[in-house]
Amino acid sequence: MIMSSVDWKNYEPVIIPDIKDLHKIDVYKKNGGYNGLKSVLTDKKKWPEQKSVIDEVKAANIRGRGGAGFNAGLKWSFMPPADGGPRYLACNGDESEPGTFKDRKIFEYNPHLFIEGALIAAYAMQVTTIYVYIRGEYKDYIDMMQNAIDDAYEGGYIGKDILGSGYDCDFYVHSGAGAYICGEETSMLESLEGKRGYPRVKPPFPAQKGLWGRPTTINNVETLAHVPGVIKNGAEWFSNIGAANHPGPILYGISGHVNKPGVYELPSGIPVLDLINKVAGGMRNGKKLKAVIPGGSSTPILRADMLDGITMDSDSLRTVGTMMGTAGMVVMDEDTDMVDMLWRIAHFYHHESCGQCTPCREGTGWLEKVLLKIKNGNGEIKDLDLLLDITTQMEGRTICALADAAAWPVRNTINRFRDEFEARCKKSVHAVA
Amino acid sequence: MPEIFIDGQRYEYEGEHQVLQFIQDLGKEVPFFCYHPSMSIPANCRQCLVKAGSYVKDKDTGEYEKDENGDRVIRWFPKLQTSCQLKVSDGMVIKTQETDEDVVRAQKDTLEFILINHPLDCPICDQAGECPLQIQTYKYGPEGSRFEVKKVHKPKRVQLGPRVVLDAERCINCTRCTRFTREISKTSQLTIVSRGDKNYPTTAPGEQFDDPYSMNTVDICPVGALTAADFRFKARVWEMNQTPSIDITNGKGCNIDLWTRDNLVLRITPRVNEAVNDHWMPDEGRDAYKLFNENRISRPLQNLDGEQIMSSWNNAVATFNEEVEKAGSDDILIIGSPHASVEENYLLSKYANLLGIDQPVFTTHIESGKGDGFLITDDLAPNTNGCRLLGFKEMTASDLKKRVQKSKLVITINDHFVDRNVLSADDLSTPFTIVFGTNHSQTTKLADLVIPVTSAAEHSASYVNVDGRIQRTFRAKETKYTNRRLDLEMSEGRLDRYGTNFDNWVNEDNKVDCLPLWKFFSKASGETGLSIEFDDGRDVMNEIAETVSPFNDVSYQAIDEQSGIQLELGESKKTTEAK
Repeated sequence: MIMSSVDWKNYEPVIIPDIKDLHKIDVYKKNGGYNGLKSVLTDKKKWPEQKSVIDEVKAANIRGRGGAGFNAGLKWSFMPPADGGPRYLACNGDESEPGTFKDRKIFEYNPHLFIEGALIAAYAMQVTTIYVYIRGEYKDYIDMMQNAIDDAYEGGYIGKDILGSGYDCDFYVHSGAGAYICGEETSMLESLEGKRGYPRVKPPFPAQKGLWGRPTTINNVETLAHVPGVIKNGAEWFSNIGAANHPGPILYGISGHVNKPGVYELPSGIPVLDLINKVAGGMRNGKKLKAVIPGGSSTPILRADMLDGITMDSDSLRTVGTMMGTAGMVVMDEDTDMVDMLWRIAHFYHHESCGQCTPCREGTGWLEKVLLKIKNGNGEIKDLDLLLDITTQMEGRTICALADAAAWPVRNTINRFRDEFEARCKKSVHAVA
Repeated sequence: MPEIFIDGQRYEYEGEHQVLQFIQDLGKEVPFFCYHPSMSIPANCRQCLVKAGSYVKDKDTGEYEKDENGDRVIRWFPKLQTSCQLKVSDGMVIKTQETDEDVVRAQKDTLEFILINHPLDCPICDQAGECPLQIQTYKYGPEGSRFEVKKVHKPKRVQLGPRVVLDAERCINCTRCTRFTREISKTSQLTIVSRGDKNYPTTAPGEQFDDPYSMNTVDICPVGALTAADFRFKARVWEMNQTPSIDITNGKGCNIDLWTRDNLVLRITPRVNEAVNDHWMPDEGRDAYKLFNENRISRPLQNLDGEQIMSSWNNAVATFNEEVEKAGSDDILIIGSPHASVEENYLLSKYANLLGIDQPVFTTHIESGKGDGFLITDDLAPNTNGCRLLGFKEMTASDLKKRVQKSKLVITINDHFVDRNVLSADDLSTPFTIVFGTNHSQTTKLADLVIPVTSAAEHSASYVNVDGRIQRTFRAKETKYTNRRLDLEMSEGRLDRYGTNFDNWVNEDNKVDCLPLWKFFSKASGETGLSIEFDDGRDVMNEIAETVSPFNDVSYQAIDEQSGIQLELGESKKTTEAK
């Protein structure tokens, strides 16, 4: 276990710093905005070729903030050599995982940082078209993003011959239509192409065949917002922030039974208990902490007694069998009914399964219905084992990870709060002999 | 040569393969629903899971690494793989349900999932008996169900289009139908709507599923979700006989199966032939099952004082011979037909030869613009090229009209000239008209002598399609003069084999009183001393092969072995455009 030595108290936010009107392009520029892009495009000494940008980002080890935690620079390096045909960067701002609400802060308070990051990424991968896919419910944020993009076009940061460098790039906002599955990367590509959001079979991977069959990289919005910092301050600066193996600033979205829920920008590797008690103002009404879902509803739940010494980075969280996810933390106090909570999560995944693969289409519904039965007091002990069985039948047998995302919370919540579930089940009338 | 190891057996391969197809081609089996060899691979049913890995080769030596027991080290994929989309690669190791417990378990699990929301109404489902879900559940499925909550309810009995009915509850969302309309018929009329376990395929709101190939979706549906509107609840598949045949409603000659029960053709489905129609056929060809059952000419008809009356075969033969004798050889016009088989046309030509009169003529039945470049052709007749290869003179409609008006005796077969506006009623009023026919029409009504002949469902005969491929039919239903049990070439269904006279549903009413054309000519010529003596289509074809050069290599055996033979068409004969 990595003991926390992260000095989060003196951390100065860089993604959503406290600067008035930062969303306006003039304010952003005044605060050093677009210097990273300018440097990459014009400073040939520092960035002799596109690959040097990729190498720098790879060295910074920006772990993807969409949940999978994959090194962003490494992902960029998977793009095949340019062949003159179109290439795409698709930015994932669908954020639909329950408990996750971080990207909207970027859209609202610092959209140009994300735009700059995306443009640097596009330049590094020789991409000339960028899409940002934002969930349809974010109507206001879609408008904010569009305004920011319009301003950036006007300022000469997007479009033809950016900053006189001869590099052209277009930037489009695409609105989702309310499906959770469209946040899955290949399903998002289908949706961008105007099709039904069914995840694609991999291989071929998007870097080979993505949008319209062309090389495409997909990055989370927050991931790209970290890129300008890395370009301006260097990979070392970034990798020195927070936990060694999962470095950088993180937008923690804290919700649930805390006094001050919200999005907090802090280094990775901060102790979970500090995050709850010090950052988010402690438990509401002085109640006792019961459980924490660390990174969006699909990540396995943690009991309060498992939290000692656990920090918010993938290595530490793995020791207690969960993961970082989107860092959208859900905090629950002693009054929380685990059966009701799990049923609600199962209901979500049932509602959002796209229905392409059999195990997920049928399994999510079955899970929800059995949980409903238990919730209503009609369950039996054997139903708990049935639920655990269904989760094994679903996991790892589908095209995308939604089946896993639906199965993990059920398995882990039952395993970690089994007594509560058993208490809700009907007592067996048969003698156990 | 690259090698792959499946269930412990080593196989060599060349080229690119998918594991599932490769295993099937070996004659082994992995269960699946969504995969179809002619369409894209969505890998969504997750039924064909196998364990896959590869032998580890030492990078430096290129030798296989061995473990302490001397066995080759295998690096397995972390998850089970869908064999349908997994590419065969050198050194790959595959374990199917035959050798691996995890695979058995995974396939059972998937089937359990598929079945929880399936209505399990096999006893009233048309698909029962030929249902991949039913078959694979028996073979690989769980013994019972642990599903004790409420099933999902979805629309039932939805008339998607004129020919296809949807039961969305039975649907397992394999997307074969939607992929068919997108990739094969290219109308994109079907799509999946809703989400998760409420998914089902349907058309856009207010749209009809009237794709000219719509019924192929019924064939490829792996459950009873899509059924044929006019075959629903008609028969159980195990009560029917299945006989290979050829589609005679257009020039493509799609390979088909005729499904019969009690001497009625109840449905027509496509039979795979990659050289002609792959797995598909147009809906029009399926509708032709009615031609074999309804409106059939049964017993000869003779015109007596302006009225057609039933006659006897003896009378018909006598009248036929009298009229031929009466009309001297110059005034007889024999018209062949692209709607009749090669054998029937050849008989007309042989008869003309023996009489010493002109070879038969014919006129094509082509409507330009009808074809779609796929399986529907401009040519509405199945054997235009057959007539051409027999050397028949091709006449325009107006030339034919003139010749008919000048003749004293006209003999035609199965070409409804009046119905298709080539000849008028007046044209036929002057000469004595003898029609060999299968179905009643305006044309047969005007004939002086109508002789019922066997249809494509009742004789073995061959047809040359628009591309010059000769293919043949088999006897699928009995006539008054044939017997399924004595005819070794006729298919035998479950009822024929195990039924008794009391329960095998055989009804004399459905047997048509007709003769194959060669039987009639054998009868008729015997009385006039002309020698025409054939037992069946095979005899006729043997003689054609000997005497007509384009057919030299043709025999029924060769046609059967190669599912059709490509014939050389002369340059002039290749065009099928309307004249």
